[in-house]
Amino acid sequence: MDKHVYKLRPSDYWKIGEHESWFSDMAAEGLHLKKIGVLFAKFAKGEPKDMNYRIELTSKRYISSEQKQFYQENGWDYVAKYGMYHIFASPVKVNAPELHTDPAEQAYTLTELDKKLKSNAITSVVAAIFLTGMLGANLFLDGTPFLQLIDGGLLHLNLISLFLIFATYQTIIGAKSIHTLKKDLAAGKSIDHRAKWSKNSKRRTIISLLFTILLLFSSIVPFYKLVQDTTETLPESTPSLPIVRLAEIENNPNLLRQEPEYFGGDDVDWANRLSISWDPLAPVQYETDENGYVPGEQWADQSGEYSPSLSTEYYQLQFSFLAEPLLNDLRKRNHYPGRGIKLVHSENKSFDTFYAYEEQESKEVYASIGNVVVYVRYHGFAKIEDIIIKMEEKVTLMEL
Amino acid sequence: MAYTGGPMTEAMYYVLLALMRPNHGYQLMQSISEVSRGRISMGPGTLYGVLSRMEKDRLISLAENDGRRKIYQITPVGEKALRQEYVRLQALIEDSHILEEGNNHG
Repeated sequence: MDKHVYKLRPSDYWKIGEHESWFSDMAAEGLHLKKIGVLFAKFAKGEPKDMNYRIELTSKRYISSEQKQFYQENGWDYVAKYGMYHIFASPVKVNAPELHTDPAEQAYTLTELDKKLKSNAITSVVAAIFLTGMLGANLFLDGTPFLQLIDGGLLHLNLISLFLIFATYQTIIGAKSIHTLKKDLAAGKSIDHRAKWSKNSKRRTIISLLFTILLLFSSIVPFYKLVQDTTETLPESTPSLPIVRLAEIENNPNLLRQEPEYFGGDDVDWANRLSISWDPLAPVQYETDENGYVPGEQWADQSGEYSPSLSTEYYQLQFSFLAEPLLNDLRKRNHYPGRGIKLVHSENKSFDTFYAYEEQESKEVYASIGNVVVYVRYHGFAKIEDIIIKMEEKVTLMEL
Repeated sequence: MAYTGGPMTEAMYYVLLALMRPNHGYQLMQSISEVSRGRISMGPGTLYGVLSRMEKDRLISLAENDGRRKIYQITPVGEKALRQEYVRLQALIEDSHILEEGNNHG
């Protein structure tokens, strides 16, 4: 049985001469080309042989059997194809006639392919602009790109758009190279079948490989998120969670949990819930809502039974440099003009960045330390200082 | 790219010349070598490209196709183009008499 070896192929598929030369060099080492794909070429291990390889370009994805047969009669065997690139091989000792003896004529064979690649490149550019524009709009439209990236889970989509830009760039370079090749041939300059392939090839191949890994990673992220992200009813007591609890700041033995008005299909009390999410940029994220009431106690304006609420967003980021931009985006998202909420503290010794806002019963605190960002929103009678003290206590529970 | 007159490539000229007698691919390569007195050995890729292109441009046509071998022949359009090119080449030679004079005086 033949033993097979896979090798990373040179990534610039349009470099005809370099590929031909690469295949010949491999054959001289006893590796005979069998198949070629996007990233790898498959070789059969055998005796070292002096082989010539030639790549024939067609404007369609197939080559006629008549052409294959004609070449075979002249000593050239069909070996493999990659898209519109068809590879023929002939042992040097057979002394087969050179396939193309007239570069100007060969240029004509590239006319259709040249046109096709040009229109492909234009289509790719338009599609890339459109898609990247759309993704960019999602990211930047409300001026909170970091929040969208981390909370909105847009990272993988933007990585895909990065890959799209890379692929478009490759398409443009490919089309341009074939156009140049056609012009060179028309001017009588033939293809150098022994062009050096090793020089920049490895670097370019590694770049292609990295982009492919990036694409694979980006495709897995949404599925992984789906498995990781959960929402459950917030337990009455959670000593291990680094979040402030309503009972801790209300400090009122009569405080009761709101009776659930709405259960999701999964039996979760959405008024008292804990959501845990994962994102490559923020591997641990908690979002909680807590709602309580004190029987017999009224709001100050007598508008009804006193019912305080507390919501938390907690982000443990992959990189601490993201903490401040995320915190600023959170502030931007929650501070629309005209709400009248006022800044009461802008620093705190327990945190790197700190902002506390207050307007009567509404209180908001934004804090970051190391790679952790916390946002707390409270509505009730407790003082903002009480919330801050509790937040300072929770720092020790944070996974910094 | 359709042929619209003007200078032909060497390959086109010799294939048309060789097809003044109907012939098939493999033998054509030998005929071209003979017609050009060994000066030109045309590669199978070049020949295949020229044949496909000239058939599309109706300069040549299939005389016979038994499924295994395609026999090509020159068409009246092809012959006219070939003769025009011949006249053009002849004019080129005539215009080059200055070189011969140069040799005589040199």
